[in-house]
Amino acid sequence: MEIRLRFALLLTSFFVVWVYGATPIPNKQLLGIDPQDLSFYKSNVIKCKDGSKKFAKELLNDEFCDCPDGTDEPGTSACPEGKFYCQNAGHTPIKIFSSRVNDGVCDCCDGSDEYNSNANCTNTCWEAGKVAREKLKKKIETFKEGLIIRKDEVEKANNAYAKDEADLAKLKSDEKVLKELVQKLREQKERIDKLEEEERLKKEKEEKSLREEEEKSKEQEIKADETQIFDTMENHEQDGSTGNLDIAVESGTDNMVESKKASTQTEEQHVGEGHDDTSESSGGISQDGEISSYEVPKQDQDDSGSTEELSREELGRLVASRWTSEGADQTTDKIGNVEEDLMDQDSSVAHEHEGYTSETDDDRSKDDDDDDDNFEDDRDDEFEDDHSSSDASYIADEYEKPDPLDSIEVSSPTWLDKIQQTVQSVLQAFNFFKTPVNVSDATHIRKEYDDTSSKLSKVQSRISSLTEKLKRDFGKEKEFYFFYDQCFESKQNKYVYKICPFKQASQDEGYSKTRLGSWDNFEESYRVMVFTNGEKCWNGPDRSLKVRLRCGLKNEISDVDEPSRCEYTALMSTPALCLEDKLKELEKKLEQMNTRKPQGHHDEL
Amino acid sequence: MRRSIVRSLLFSSSSAVPATMAPLPPLLLRYLVVILIPLFLFFSSASAWKKDEFRNCNQTPFCKRARTRTPHSLPRLIVSDLLISDGHLTAHLQPSLSSEDDVSAGDTPHPRPLVLRLSVYQDGILRLKIDEDYSAPSAPSKQRFEVPDVVLPDFEDRRLWLPRVSSTEDGSISSLYLSDGFEVVLRHDPFEIQVRRKRSNDPIISLNSHGLFEFEQLREKKEGEDWEERFRGHTDTRPRGPQSISFDVSFHGAEFVYGIPEHASTSLALRATRGPGVEHSEPYRLFNLDVFEYLHDSPFGLYGSIPFMLSHGLKGSSGFFWLNAAEMQIDVLAPGWDDSAAAGNDRIDTFWMSETGIVDAFFFVGPGPKDVLQQYASVTGTLAMPQEFAIAYHQCRWNYRDEEDVATVDAGFDEHDIPYDVLWLDIEHTDGKRYFTWDRVLFPNPEEMQKKLTAKGRHMVTIVDPHIKRDDSYYVHKEATDKGYYVKDATGKDFDGWCWSGSSSYPDTLNPEVREWWAEKFSLKNYGGSTPSLYIWNDMNEPSVFNGPEISMPRDALHFGGVEHRELHNVYGLYFHMATADGLLKRGNGKDRPFVLSRAFFAGSQRHGAIWTGDNSADWDQLRSSVPMILTLGLTGISFSGADVGGFFGNPEPELLVRWYQLAAYYPFFRAHAHHDTKRREPWLFGERRTALIREAIHIRYSLLPYYYSLFREASVSGIPIMRPLWLEFPEDKKSFDNSEAFMIGEGILVQGIYEEGQKSVSVYLPGEQSWYNMRNGAAYSGGQTHKLEVFEDSIPSFQRAGSIVPRKYRFRRSTTQMANDPYTLVIALNSSLAAEGELYIDDGKSYDFEQGAYIHRRFVFSNGKLTSSTIHSASLREKKFSSSCTVERIILLGLPSAPKKAVIEPGNHETEIEPGPLTLRGGASSVALVIRKPNVRIADDWTIKVL
Repeated sequence: MEIRLRFALLLTSFFVVWVYGATPIPNKQLLGIDPQDLSFYKSNVIKCKDGSKKFAKELLNDEFCDCPDGTDEPGTSACPEGKFYCQNAGHTPIKIFSSRVNDGVCDCCDGSDEYNSNANCTNTCWEAGKVAREKLKKKIETFKEGLIIRKDEVEKANNAYAKDEADLAKLKSDEKVLKELVQKLREQKERIDKLEEEERLKKEKEEKSLREEEEKSKEQEIKADETQIFDTMENHEQDGSTGNLDIAVESGTDNMVESKKASTQTEEQHVGEGHDDTSESSGGISQDGEISSYEVPKQDQDDSGSTEELSREELGRLVASRWTSEGADQTTDKIGNVEEDLMDQDSSVAHEHEGYTSETDDDRSKDDDDDDDNFEDDRDDEFEDDHSSSDASYIADEYEKPDPLDSIEVSSPTWLDKIQQTVQSVLQAFNFFKTPVNVSDATHIRKEYDDTSSKLSKVQSRISSLTEKLKRDFGKEKEFYFFYDQCFESKQNKYVYKICPFKQASQDEGYSKTRLGSWDNFEESYRVMVFTNGEKCWNGPDRSLKVRLRCGLKNEISDVDEPSRCEYTALMSTPALCLEDKLKELEKKLEQMNTRKPQGHHDEL
Repeated sequence: MRRSIVRSLLFSSSSAVPATMAPLPPLLLRYLVVILIPLFLFFSSASAWKKDEFRNCNQTPFCKRARTRTPHSLPRLIVSDLLISDGHLTAHLQPSLSSEDDVSAGDTPHPRPLVLRLSVYQDGILRLKIDEDYSAPSAPSKQRFEVPDVVLPDFEDRRLWLPRVSSTEDGSISSLYLSDGFEVVLRHDPFEIQVRRKRSNDPIISLNSHGLFEFEQLREKKEGEDWEERFRGHTDTRPRGPQSISFDVSFHGAEFVYGIPEHASTSLALRATRGPGVEHSEPYRLFNLDVFEYLHDSPFGLYGSIPFMLSHGLKGSSGFFWLNAAEMQIDVLAPGWDDSAAAGNDRIDTFWMSETGIVDAFFFVGPGPKDVLQQYASVTGTLAMPQEFAIAYHQCRWNYRDEEDVATVDAGFDEHDIPYDVLWLDIEHTDGKRYFTWDRVLFPNPEEMQKKLTAKGRHMVTIVDPHIKRDDSYYVHKEATDKGYYVKDATGKDFDGWCWSGSSSYPDTLNPEVREWWAEKFSLKNYGGSTPSLYIWNDMNEPSVFNGPEISMPRDALHFGGVEHRELHNVYGLYFHMATADGLLKRGNGKDRPFVLSRAFFAGSQRHGAIWTGDNSADWDQLRSSVPMILTLGLTGISFSGADVGGFFGNPEPELLVRWYQLAAYYPFFRAHAHHDTKRREPWLFGERRTALIREAIHIRYSLLPYYYSLFREASVSGIPIMRPLWLEFPEDKKSFDNSEAFMIGEGILVQGIYEEGQKSVSVYLPGEQSWYNMRNGAAYSGGQTHKLEVFEDSIPSFQRAGSIVPRKYRFRRSTTQMANDPYTLVIALNSSLAAEGELYIDDGKSYDFEQGAYIHRRFVFSNGKLTSSTIHSASLREKKFSSSCTVERIILLGLPSAPKKAVIEPGNHETEIEPGPLTLRGGASSVALVIRKPNVRIADDWTIKVL
């Protein structure tokens, strides 16, 4: 009885709403029609929207599907492709699938989808709408505030970007100047070197003859009287060496050769040790390899068929691990780590300026190994973690701290001028024609050369990092510019997720770190940040992470999840996503919600 | 993909490694070696089926012994002391020992005679039992195990009382009446049993025609004799020594033999395993095993065993069932296997070997294939009528992790307008794999979660496995320990094996008391967090024991009554399944039909619930083998079965996944499932187009639910499966006998799978003389021909047989629950005489009221331009009634040569319009049929509709 009454009321309200329409359409036939579509249904012969056929008005909502697209049955479940419009006065109107009409489940908050079923739907639109409106209002507030922050940041970002560009240009011209200076200094240095070398040779020669004479005199000291010796010595000093002296010299050189030999031996020994070192260090790698293969023999044993040596429990775990990949994971993880370490070593060599080093992951695997309690625990933990509350933080990454070079005021002209001046003065002060070379001047030049070329290499490295940075896509308005030098963290139970946009993302647990991926790009017009090619997963894809961005007042990571094995997702709120268009859309939605009052307030329409 | 790459690297590792490494700098190469070597070691052990882990025939002494015997090499067996007692024929069976043998045998004890008993049952069933003579003076103290609880309790009621036995004059042959037209012939010397046609004396099935019958009698251990068997570090003490049985069975007039699941194969017909032309000679093994990444084509044993084989040929069908739950190996022998010159061209010889037990064999005479199935069903029973929700679509994954995940997936179906009925939770939902518990962090409010599903008419299934965690604080373990309900090891202690829960023990469900106790665990009170809409999944019940021999329980483990595990291994899973189903039955006070899915099975498992084909893989070959596997299950009684959609292991390419959905929509049991390492594959994750394709596939199943439910009813009454090989419907169409790609759903629908990537065209053989209507576009194709058809992305080829009427529902809902009141569509495909017929069965879809007559069973007949609906069931038996206000909203006519405009409905003399219309309602469907618009007759009523 009650249902019927409400149904009547509902129909009445429809009637009241639509009575102003030009063509009177029977009420039941109006079911499920979007008011905006009403005119479409006015004529006596109605077209299917897909143009496939036409149908007479009596067939509208007659519980028989005539149009493949459902045009003729907006208010019934007869067409599989149909949509039912619920007015939901007081809340938001929605269109639901025809399959929901009279299926016994209340889908529209006004209950209009269950006009002919056993379902007892109450109209919850006003209450639900109130909650939704409040939520929407809050969201709008956030958007408004966020928009201001965003504007500010965009402005700053553009300035900073411009400054970066200017810096780059400046750096490039500096580089040019420096290169020239370095070139000049090098030339000078080389000349000095040459001069000095000549001097040295000369000196050596002098010293040599001096020594020879000394030797000679020593010898002669024994045999002849001193004055005589002195004379001949002076003679010999002028015309080189002859006669007996040669023997002495020869023996002397012999001695020298021997001592040289000895030193070569020690050097060789060193080299040998060096070899040992390298073999030791490569041994270190193979040790790592051994660690990673530590568990492998177990698998191997299994394969070779001799499971006898395994304890019963080990055997059970081993077989279980085929399905779970647990044991395997550890092994491959470790292999992955070794590999990663190697790669990191590589990359740290190749891109030293980027300057991040990897931590070793051995601890984790040890922990896992020692944890003999429950082999399923690891997995359980994974799940638990997904549920821990998020704890986002906004921090500058320690290893992303500016390069010492950055402390050099790139934009200030003074340092380069200074260098230039110094170099000029040094160069000018140096007298090439003076022999012997003025020691302090030479040192000066060398120092200047070293300083300047180190400056040059710093400038060059700065250029390459800046170029690298400026190649990045920071968004339509460069709204993501400041993400470049930042990392964001979120702690979820034992894991800390560290997300460094444009660089990489990782999952850290204590000292162990799992690479979730390197920066790939933005997707869905800057709404998603994608990191790919993370650490390998046993039986799964390489790890990857997608961070969905949404409007918020702070940059905050939350809801890190792993919906599919090794495919991570996270949410991040950021002012960068507080967009004006979206705000307008929300405001419009709120406006609509506010104007649609529930039944009884239809006069407001 | 990754996995297959690794695999291919593996198999060609020696050549692949240098090839991939060649261009790499030497330093990296060194690193790679360090990395790859352990990787290879690892993967080589982790990928694919582990042949070494399972015994082949040569490593199985009884199999090896039996298989080396040649025909007629054993001493002749002689039948003596024939006697009719209690309506059975009994006799003694004894090897003929010449005096020579006596001397040479020396210390071999003279074998005791065996006791043979023949019994005859209604409808052409012969039962043969051969066992030790326990009344003999030197009889063994221990009885051999005879499998209880498989043969229906009322089977004995159908026994025919044998009044006498007629023997030939010379006394060499005795014969027994079997049924009209069939008799049993027992030859006395040498012993042979033959079932044959009476007049023609044509044999149908015979046993011991090749003199391979061997029965190793129980005996005392001789001094110095070693009975132990060792395999891969496991020792089987075998305290009772050798006790195997083997014999040959011949199917006469047979062109193919089928049955004896479970094996993965792309062929429905069993292939020869021995004899000329057989390459890899390994018998079909029946031994329930948990096989990691099984091969799609192999005679090795999988999760379940049914020692029932059927033969079929133009001369008819027959069947042979050996009720024995020990390990069995069966050879199908290629013609010429016995070096006989005249290779029997219409006979198939088979050789059956079992480790222990007795001979308890059933012969089914047919003569039609459906007769054989019904005869087998009269021994082991028909499928339990499932609830309606259970035959709809199931969504599963290892694992839906938490309540939020469950809610999200559930909402995903609604968002994409895809119906589903059941959401499944795998092992991770429990508290540390303690079944009947919940991980309360992930599932803090399981009741509420289930109620949310119930609100949308959906159900939930949770997993309950037989390995019970050995944890003193776990009540199930504590109770089982205290009551001594666990299976014992050879020394008598509770058997302790390793499985998901770590150290675990296994309830001994052979014991009725243990089953009772186990069943109680499912009451709403005992199973915390359960609700009446929760149903159960039994996995790992082979049983799977990770550290046991062949990943199972040691054969010398001990069960109730001192039965060794070897004696009942193959039936363990059935008992566990049975106890679980009993639990759900009890929970609902006997009013709610249980739903329990089991992986392990044995003959008779159909009475306890559904079966699926276990851990398959995401590749095309496994899609292909799913059809013969499910058909074989259906032929051996397990009608309610299916394969995991998409493949459990690995990630299916989207095309494969879509094709799998399109095929699986016709499986009797329709569930998607995936390993936890795989990518998510809920239907909407592969782009809009694929979502639409999968939605359409699932919708096809939902639209056919009235037809399926009627077929389930039929199967529950007759034992005829839902999904049928073509030859079951066309037993005289020789071309259909070896078809493993297409199948029938009931009598009316033929489906051809698409098993290849990017397939553009397909050859479909349409059997019989009548034509077939393409269910996609209504086009007619003639029968008895192979048609080359274009393959479309949106469906796999399916046809409605001319002469059939298929009831459907063209309204799509969230789940079956909301479809209860929706109107029907009848699709009538007329045959050449413009006639057709079909049936519809409806009940409340939940309870057992149908047993008291609370159902609607209609028969539709179209002839002479008139459709008539009449009731099938006899009104007299009705204690309860089921009513339905459902109407028929549409009748679709295919194959009518004229185009009538109107139809008249009686009673009431109403007129309604007939107009051209589509076969389905989906967008763009063109008019291919005549549609009687809105007849709006009630489905429950008698009426006629005349086409004018």
